[in-house]
Amino acid sequence: MAGLATTFGSGAMTNSINEIENAEVILVSGSNTTEAHPQVARRMLDAVDRGARLIVIDPRRTRLAECAHLHLALRPGTDIPLINAMMRVLLDEGLADDLFIEMRTENFLALRDMLHRLDLEQTAGLTGVPLPLIRQAAQLYGRARKAVICYCLGVTQHVCGTENVQTIANLAMLSGHIEKEDTGVDPLRGQNNVQGACDMGALPNMLPSYQAVANQDYREKFERAWGSPLPEAPGMTLVKMTHGGAKGSIRAMYIMGENPMLSDPTLSKVEETLRGLDFLAVSDIFLTETAQLAHVVFPAACFAEKTGTFTNSERRVQMVRKATQPPGECRADSEIIMALSNRLGFCMEYDSSAEVMEEIAMLSPIYGGMYHDRLEQSWGLQWPCWDRGHQGTPFLHKYYFTRGRGHFMPASHTEPGELPDREYPLLLMTGRIYHQYHTGTMTRKSERLSRECGHAVLQINPTDATALGLRQSETVRLLSRRGEITLAASITDQVAPGMVYTTFHFHEAPINLLTNDAFDTGSGCPEYKVCAVRVEKINS
Amino acid sequence: MPQTIIDIYLPRQAKVEQIVVENSHISTFILAFSDKQYNDTFRYQPGQFMMVSMPHCGEAPISISSTPTRTGTIHLSVRKAGKLTNGMHGLRVGDTIGLRGPYGRPFPMRQLTDRDLLFVAGGIGLAPLRAVINNCLDQRDQFGAITVLYGSRTPSDIAFQDDLTLWKKQGVDCRLTVDVAEAGWDGAVGLVTSLMDDLTTEPSQSTSLICGPPLMFRAVLGRLTSIGFVDEHILTTMERHMKCGVGICRHCHMDGKLACVDGPVFSLAELRKLTIMELAE
Amino acid sequence: MPHATAMADTHLLKKDHLKGFLRKLAKEYRLVAPVRNRHGDVLFTVIDDLDSAEIELVEPPQNSLKQFFLPQQERLYTYTISPEGYDFRPAQTSIPPTVYFGVHPCDLYAMLYMDVVFSRQQRDSFYLRRRQGSVLIGINCNTPSPNCFCNATGSGPFLEMGSDLQLTDLGDRFLVEIGRAPGHSLVKRWEGFFTPSTDKDRAAHYQTFLEARGRFSRQVHVEQAIRQLEAGTVPDEVFAELSLRCQDCGGCAYLCPTCTCFTISDQQLDANSGQRLRSWDACTFAGFTGMAGGHNPVQAKTGAIRQRFTHKLRDDVRLNGRPSCVGCGRCVSICFGGTDIVRFVERACQGSI
Repeated sequence: MAGLATTFGSGAMTNSINEIENAEVILVSGSNTTEAHPQVARRMLDAVDRGARLIVIDPRRTRLAECAHLHLALRPGTDIPLINAMMRVLLDEGLADDLFIEMRTENFLALRDMLHRLDLEQTAGLTGVPLPLIRQAAQLYGRARKAVICYCLGVTQHVCGTENVQTIANLAMLSGHIEKEDTGVDPLRGQNNVQGACDMGALPNMLPSYQAVANQDYREKFERAWGSPLPEAPGMTLVKMTHGGAKGSIRAMYIMGENPMLSDPTLSKVEETLRGLDFLAVSDIFLTETAQLAHVVFPAACFAEKTGTFTNSERRVQMVRKATQPPGECRADSEIIMALSNRLGFCMEYDSSAEVMEEIAMLSPIYGGMYHDRLEQSWGLQWPCWDRGHQGTPFLHKYYFTRGRGHFMPASHTEPGELPDREYPLLLMTGRIYHQYHTGTMTRKSERLSRECGHAVLQINPTDATALGLRQSETVRLLSRRGEITLAASITDQVAPGMVYTTFHFHEAPINLLTNDAFDTGSGCPEYKVCAVRVEKINS
Repeated sequence: MPQTIIDIYLPRQAKVEQIVVENSHISTFILAFSDKQYNDTFRYQPGQFMMVSMPHCGEAPISISSTPTRTGTIHLSVRKAGKLTNGMHGLRVGDTIGLRGPYGRPFPMRQLTDRDLLFVAGGIGLAPLRAVINNCLDQRDQFGAITVLYGSRTPSDIAFQDDLTLWKKQGVDCRLTVDVAEAGWDGAVGLVTSLMDDLTTEPSQSTSLICGPPLMFRAVLGRLTSIGFVDEHILTTMERHMKCGVGICRHCHMDGKLACVDGPVFSLAELRKLTIMELAE
Repeated sequence: MPHATAMADTHLLKKDHLKGFLRKLAKEYRLVAPVRNRHGDVLFTVIDDLDSAEIELVEPPQNSLKQFFLPQQERLYTYTISPEGYDFRPAQTSIPPTVYFGVHPCDLYAMLYMDVVFSRQQRDSFYLRRRQGSVLIGINCNTPSPNCFCNATGSGPFLEMGSDLQLTDLGDRFLVEIGRAPGHSLVKRWEGFFTPSTDKDRAAHYQTFLEARGRFSRQVHVEQAIRQLEAGTVPDEVFAELSLRCQDCGGCAYLCPTCTCFTISDQQLDANSGQRLRSWDACTFAGFTGMAGGHNPVQAKTGAIRQRFTHKLRDDVRLNGRPSCVGCGRCVSICFGGTDIVRFVERACQGSI
């Protein structure tokens, strides 16, 4: 979020998902797209069928990496040096788009100076990717007429996540691969409505539509509409709240549809924090690990039991319609919030989600033309959509960047918060698998999905497995400085020697007991992708 | 079309009459149908299997380990592996379980008449062969010499000890081996193929019946072929995931054949025509 | 191919009279037909109100008839546990006699295939109970859709046999061929709707067939792929490549009118009761063949993909003399990764045509 906001002015996919199909070169970084975003992967593979070149940057040999023309298997946490090296190649070979840089961007000299100081061999060495491969990737990307970069949590879930994103933005601007159809920078969102949540101000420093809390004019606009004063200072990030609650200043919490007791790093701290609260209320569709700690649980309606909108990765606001009544005492989130607010003394009376949408359109410029009657008649509208007459925006930054000029933000290599050492010699990455979703609140209820993948596995390279004397599927102990879990080993060369990989879906093997709570100061996002661990054989 | 069609998926109730603990993870359940009349008329052949039901656990195919020559009960020898088999290991005498069957193509007992029989099994693989062995022993004059080679992981994993003892007494050449020895074990250690070194079996007069894990299966095949067994006289029974047991659901597909109706018993000659994991290089 | 001389028992039904005929049928049968819903999708739907249903006979429905005979999930039994034992009660579903109207030839062939699957080895009571008393009224395809290739699987665009009544759109009227006995009794029962056909009508029917045959936009060499599979000459790389592209969604099997593989599982309702469910499954899922304890005799995705195409194009040809792919093109439209059967046929035949 923060990375693209500072460089382009908007933290969202600049393209529509369908545009990926028409790109000539697709650079995918830190995204296991076939498993996490199958519908996006489908466009990538279609593009490949039409002759597009696919470059995948991933420490693991994912299925997409197998389909790629170039696979840059970098050392985890070396995204910045890798992209910097690519940019240096572009400069050296005259592939930078000078006219674009001149007309549309600022602060280029800072980037150029930084790149010229780079020792290319040494930088490539940091990443573990052979320089000729980096050069090839740079040339492919730089020479394409239409090129998109897709990235995901493999880029952002690092201590330097914001800088990683800024570096990717630098690469796109340097090559002039932005502000055009079928060309741009596309962060892939992890959930059906995480884009919508950000758009609506579920960020510590933003009011809806990315209107900064710090800005008095914006605050006043909302204060007038809501008839209530708003705090001037930005709020707290998620990890700060769930890790110590800013040393006790938070005494009550209301958690909606989130399961930090499985999804947040260093779970022991989360549990301590939540248990230490005076009051915890949770609303969710199932009794999650977090809900089990709550004083009050509100049973919530699921997507099919309520009417409203979701905003997807490509900024498309789409209607969901109530298809069935919520079971038992379940209510839509909006109804729960209204009832709660009314009891707390702040009157909220919306008769329908259409009425809520009218308020959103009034207060959030990028949603200015989004009304239910318009959304109902189409596949939705993509923001920014300024008014009723506006048809929405398939790709961003046409003619000028949201912030005016694109701002180059040079960055240098930052070591991960924790790296393997003698005591914990392996590097752990975490991620997702196709058959389970997040903390399994929903998917683990399905017999079929559990049949396909019902327990946590630890991917480990045959070299490391042999050294430890492990057999396929053997249960092993995985330890970090923060905790330990047991899970089954899956011996595969999808991961390189020295690395292991697992998922966070299973409460029986809560990997976030082990992960590091180092986080990105720019976004507050925890470093789920790198920490140091040790694997132990159980019955030796 | 006729108006009444027999419900082919409906399990019949059976009672657990007795449980024999074979080792820490294998038990033999001795069962009789609750419907006495049905139990008395129930018939099956060695090599066939039953679909077994437990409440909340679904169904799984289990091969019958008793011989049809001894009526009145059915034996199912079961290794703890999945949901259903774990459920079965929680059963006590007098409990009810659901059964339907028998299903599948049995061992061709007629073709075994007058031949010397070489049984090779690993672990739970002895269960379906036990049905054949006991059948042969009950009709001793119809078959030639019987040899049983049995491999287990460790000496305490050796299942069917009572049977092995009894068979020895009845003149069966029983040879055991383990992968890993324990204190007090003075028998053979190593693959079950190591038991074949000093076999005097005459391949032209013998049929071999094999059942065990894929690795063992491949090793034994190689050995048998090298000492002159022809594919037609090597028989085995295939283990596959099954849901219907009657050739419809297709979970047990084997390159165009279905283990539940075309098998589970196959000759090696038949298997050689198929591309299957057990025979992969 | 239907030839004019082979159709002795044919009638005409004016289009103006179709609704009236269906209204009569609806009095005695449940009526299922392809209906365009308010979102524009065409789906086989149970019609409650004939006047408000927009029956669509040209655009192929997105679903096939499979769900009506083998529901996506059906309860086989409810069970209870008591101190005395374990009691199963078959689910008592009563299926009203149903007319399936407007069934395209591909879906009719699929029905014939399902009839074989569910009665060849053992008669499946749950399927057959739904099948008994069903009447199939087909419609020949004058304008095949872009993904259709039934010409290559021998299951269209016109039907040779299998339906009770078979309609062909001749502009202002339908030519109605009588197939099986139930079709004959329908025409007899409501004779007033039908008039005798003339040689001219039958000539028009044949002309329509010839034109339809020329309207396919795809040339899919199914026969060639079948020969290659039988000869074992499809390169392993084809399966490897397709399996790399398969996104494991199961959409092909769920939409396929002839994918009848299912699984059976118990759903616990409380400590002492539950239900045994049968639901659709797909041979492309790893768990389809995975055994208790983790062993899987089908190694990796490649084996599962191989099974899918080999079953449809080789094994079923061996058993039934024809492939169980009916060329409806549904898997082409649903497939995420480009692992559909047309892609397979194209890849298998590459360089050999």
